[in-house]
Amino acid sequence: MRTLVFIPAWNEAASVAAVIAGVRERLPEADVLVVDDGSTDATAARAREAGATVASLPFNQGLGAALQTGYLYALRERYDFCAHLDADGQHPPSDVAGLLEEVYADRADLVIGSRYRDRGAAESDDYRPTLSRRIGTSVFRFFLTLATRQRFTDTTSGMRAANRRVMALFSQHYSPDFAEIESLQLAVRQGLRVEEVPVRMLERAGGASFLTPLRSAFFIFKGMIVLLVGQFRPRRREPVEPVPLRKARAGQ
Amino acid sequence: MSALLAATQDPKVHLTSQTRIIAALIALAFMVLILELIRRDRLQERYSVVWFVAGLGMLAGAAFPGLLGTVADLMGVRNTNVALFSIILLLLLGLALNFSVIMSRQAAQITRLAQERALEKAREQAADGDVPGFRPRSGRSTTGTSGEEGGASRAGRDET
Repeated sequence: MRTLVFIPAWNEAASVAAVIAGVRERLPEADVLVVDDGSTDATAARAREAGATVASLPFNQGLGAALQTGYLYALRERYDFCAHLDADGQHPPSDVAGLLEEVYADRADLVIGSRYRDRGAAESDDYRPTLSRRIGTSVFRFFLTLATRQRFTDTTSGMRAANRRVMALFSQHYSPDFAEIESLQLAVRQGLRVEEVPVRMLERAGGASFLTPLRSAFFIFKGMIVLLVGQFRPRRREPVEPVPLRKARAGQ
Repeated sequence: MSALLAATQDPKVHLTSQTRIIAALIALAFMVLILELIRRDRLQERYSVVWFVAGLGMLAGAAFPGLLGTVADLMGVRNTNVALFSIILLLLLGLALNFSVIMSRQAAQITRLAQERALEKAREQAADGDVPGFRPRSGRSTTGTSGEEGGASRAGRDET
């Protein structure tokens, strides 16, 4: 059984090495891939030094394309399971192991690390989101729950674990603009078992968040259009077939 | 044909012969420009058809000014200017949408191309084993993979 942990990184030279080290320490069995999304700083070099394989996109393509690259790599290189987390150091690598446990045990096809699902007041104090982020979170939470009829608390989480069914789906269909939300909706509509697991969120180790209030508003608006359009995509009725390792390459 | 002749005599559209000559010249110049762009590989043939049709439409309008009146009558529009502008507006709207569709397709293609290249590089790196502390993959997973795409890099990895 082989596991790939991939880390999408765009100009995260300051924090990527620590994240890789954390993953390698916590998950010594897993291979680590950094998807360098056209970074202009030393992200790729730092990642190689830290012992990760690096897939460098020749120019910045956005988070969705970077994540899809990771899923594509996991599928093509015949990993049984994969997980990803952010390169900015906000996700504790120890929580990735918890996510992977769920897919190892086949309790879910896709596991989302949720910052908002309660796991005790003491630990939830770690992470204080800004107002615009809180508004966006609740709007998306409401509409995604409405669209999927499944309770989601953290729709934009960048920490996930998945099996080969999800790799096969996401390597083919993954919105480059609105990866997080649309992928959840798509996975549920495709009959995959999606589950949330509470995780902690640490303060940023380096870099800056890209969200300003105006961008957040645009982000929310775009997200709602994406969700609306997603509701008109075909829904799978028959049970999902497992994706065998051997057919992976032919499944283009 | 009689309808066309009747349209030519339509009192609603008045153009002096000077205006018509200028309009025809502009239409011809436009079509020459399209040809020149194709000749210099600045425009692909498949995207030029619509522009030639537009050029021919301009030429037809210059040659038979009454045509517009006929079209306006068919649309049930009293003012020929309104007819002209709404036709052009709708055509341009459709064209712009068409371009957005083409652009989206090409954006997806570019993304996939970039991803394939990134994966190729990563695979090379993993095969070379130049990663400090990188563990070669277990042999179990490489069984039954011969003859497939990427077989070379896989074989290279086995040697390490």
